[in-house]
Amino acid sequence: MTRCLFSNKLENCVTLWRSAGYSVIGPVRKDATSSYAAVEHAADFDLGMVLPDRSIKELFFPQTEPMLHYTIKQQAINTEEFTPPAGKRIIFGVRPCDASGLSIDDPLFGWDYKDEYWFQRRNESVIVTIACTKADDFCLCTSLKLAPDSTNGSDILLRPLENNNGWQVEELTERGREAFSAIAELLQEASEPTAPLAVVPEMFNLDTCVAWLQNPENFESKFWKDISMRCIGCGSCTYLCPTCHCFDIQDEGDTYSGIRRKNWDSCSFALFTMHTSGHNPRSTQSARWRQRIMHKFNYFPGKFSVNSCSGCGRCTRQCPVDMGITETLQKISTLHP
Amino acid sequence: MKIVGRHDEAPGVKTMRLEFQNPADHEEFRQKYRTGMFGLYGVYGEGESTFCVASPETRTDYIECTFRQSGRVTSALANADIGDLITFRGPYGNRFPIETFHGKNLLFISGGIALPPTRSVIWSCLDQREKFGKVTIIYGARTVADLVYKHELDEWQERADVDLVLTVDPGGESPDWKNKVGFVPTVLEEAAPSPENCIAVICGPPIMIKFTLISLKKLGFDETNVYTTLENRMKCGVGKCGRCNVGSIYVCKEGPVFTAAEVSRMPAADL
Repeated sequence: MTRCLFSNKLENCVTLWRSAGYSVIGPVRKDATSSYAAVEHAADFDLGMVLPDRSIKELFFPQTEPMLHYTIKQQAINTEEFTPPAGKRIIFGVRPCDASGLSIDDPLFGWDYKDEYWFQRRNESVIVTIACTKADDFCLCTSLKLAPDSTNGSDILLRPLENNNGWQVEELTERGREAFSAIAELLQEASEPTAPLAVVPEMFNLDTCVAWLQNPENFESKFWKDISMRCIGCGSCTYLCPTCHCFDIQDEGDTYSGIRRKNWDSCSFALFTMHTSGHNPRSTQSARWRQRIMHKFNYFPGKFSVNSCSGCGRCTRQCPVDMGITETLQKISTLHP
Repeated sequence: MKIVGRHDEAPGVKTMRLEFQNPADHEEFRQKYRTGMFGLYGVYGEGESTFCVASPETRTDYIECTFRQSGRVTSALANADIGDLITFRGPYGNRFPIETFHGKNLLFISGGIALPPTRSVIWSCLDQREKFGKVTIIYGARTVADLVYKHELDEWQERADVDLVLTVDPGGESPDWKNKVGFVPTVLEEAAPSPENCIAVICGPPIMIKFTLISLKKLGFDETNVYTTLENRMKCGVGKCGRCNVGSIYVCKEGPVFTAAEVSRMPAADL
């Protein structure tokens, strides 16, 4: 017997959570796209999709957000720092790859200077992850040594029941327990079997790839030019990635008042690294694609002991020219280290 | 910070002297600042730009920065008047460990608008001249007009305890130019300073650094005795935004000051 949450109670859950002061967020399909967005009713959730088009990243690190407001009056500068809107929230129906993405970026936002925006939102969010029972051709979590039921970054893991009528509940953190105590009356002890997990074939051997990437001789390999020949530098892969975290800081306003903003940026863009002099350390698209791969599988793990990829596959799934991490690492895994 | 001084160095290049408005900020700066560190200078409504602190650690009543007017932020800074307020974040990054240079000869090599970071180290050492051996400065620019800190170059030229070698690129000389004509690495090899008990500090455009390192190697300098500062593009300055990365290095945190030995371990094609 394990504790289960049945689908027919989900509407009551949403109501109880909302009355306990949580805002409720989950996978939602709207117009032509899908993302994790706020809902008022359980019926707004779309729990059938493999995963939303947009990653969970934007709920913690928005595409654009103010850092401060400034006003200048008679030579006096006044600034007001922006604080993210406070409030606890439950993000329901997160995919394990998205939850892992959050835990991957924690050390980056926490080393040295601690990014308060990120950690305030992390501390106020309960990640309720649903293990995957279906995958598509682009999913690659197993190649990254993760799984359709990985618990990294999750506060609760729900395992779908075989009859597709609910989930077994695994409480992983104190934050998760607290959120589920608010709906304790809706949980039932049951002995229903869980559905088989999605089968995600391993598409490359990560260790082989990392060994190749770590060999300095391969840095200027012709491979990089060949593999990135069709990259158009649109940056979609970085924007959709749950772990890509590069940003720009820009001012909007005039001499008297305005906003300093933090915006997503991308290592795929030529201007990203260009010096004032015109010198550009990464002046070609192949150098930029190499940077992205090296950063995710060599530099980032070297610094923070975790790969900067959780295997969601969005970079490949939504690339306009059918490139992506999968193809690159698949090819690298066949090269001599 | 308030602009209290402005000086035209070269076409499009200005130096600003800035004073803190808040005594607590000033005290924090005095405590933290060491030569080699950088800051983000900004004008609200336009943004922030990254430059080194061009003034030495031995003179912390003010901050000086030198920049070329080039984009939106530097244009706004260039157009600011004495008495105007601008923003400063910093000091960030690591430093030149000048106390480990005590008792040694110093060779400074600099090109164009890269003299400001070098100048910060030069004055930090000259302000405690007795602690160091022979001081040699090799400075080059594209043309005579492009040399910055001309008044200080005159001062160094007159000092008996400083050897200054000035050069301009071929074609950049003026009719009355009495110094060298030639690229910095060539002039360096002609001057042939001894690597014996000598620390070299080089700063310049990436192409100059590349060839100067080769020349220093020829002269017998050990890579661990050669320091440089990387001027990568930055936005946050605190190890988050990702653009200053070279390999696994965050230039803003682990740099901007590196030895040539450290630079040689970085992926050369990404510098």
